[in-house]
Amino acid sequence: MRITVALFAHLSTFQPDGHGGRGARTFDVAADTTVGDVIGMLALPDEPRVLFINGRHADDSTVLAEGDRLAIFPPIAGG
Amino acid sequence: MSGTGADAQACPPPLTPSDDLAMRARLGASHVAIVGCGGLGSNAAAMLVRSGVGKLTLVDFDTVEEDNLNRQLFFRDQIGMLKTDALADTLRRIEPDVDLMLVRECLDEENLLGVVEGADVVIEAVDRADVKAMIANVLCTDAPDLPLVSTSGLAGIDSANEIVCERVGENFYLVGDLHSDVRSGLPLLASRVMVAAAHQAHAATRILLGYEEP
Repeated sequence: MRITVALFAHLSTFQPDGHGGRGARTFDVAADTTVGDVIGMLALPDEPRVLFINGRHADDSTVLAEGDRLAIFPPIAGG
Repeated sequence: MSGTGADAQACPPPLTPSDDLAMRARLGASHVAIVGCGGLGSNAAAMLVRSGVGKLTLVDFDTVEEDNLNRQLFFRDQIGMLKTDALADTLRRIEPDVDLMLVRECLDEENLLGVVEGADVVIEAVDRADVKAMIANVLCTDAPDLPLVSTSGLAGIDSANEIVCERVGENFYLVGDLHSDVRSGLPLLASRVMVAAAHQAHAATRILLGYEEP
């Protein structure tokens, strides 16, 4: 199935094409792929993050569906 | 307005600027919880009070220190006071009738929901990235209908025009440039901090008035 993944802030450098930026990339993944599977596939660092699928909050165990848009934000310190 | 969850979803349609009395009435009946009373929270609180928001919950466990004065809304004679108490004094000088709930404790996954209960909007204004993530993950999971205005990326001297407010989830709004991290040794300048705080206050105000986009 096909999903899109948007990586924000410094995580954008982990997109497979290495081009960075905030644009979402398209991925073909197996059925029943979880958010955690995608994080592992992209080798994202183990750090705090906030996840949304189609604008709804998600976690690592959430199973993705065809056409989903996964967005991953790493909170940035400062306040 | 009042209530977490379904009540927040059931708010009336957006008010237009010509509905001045209705707009003031709605803000006056509104409740914003501000988690963290440092550079973001103290300045956002003052803007919300000046805009007529009737009730604020102020959350912070820390005391005012001299090195806070370069960007936080505190004064030299408040050094050593709890930030919640010092900020409350200042806000009541702006608007004596503002209703303030002061929470002088450190938030965690266990007490967060109880602390923000009854708020119409939550402003996340803490400094640590892991606490920002905890607040977003707890509220987006357990109170998904409660709008949350969070911040990521306001340090340094890059253009203030890079700091924007985006709606990145149904009820999750994110302010910042998404890259300027204090952990990289970047300074926190009053001007950039206040731009971010103003975005947070304005996004909260718009949400209270019924607008979904920041």
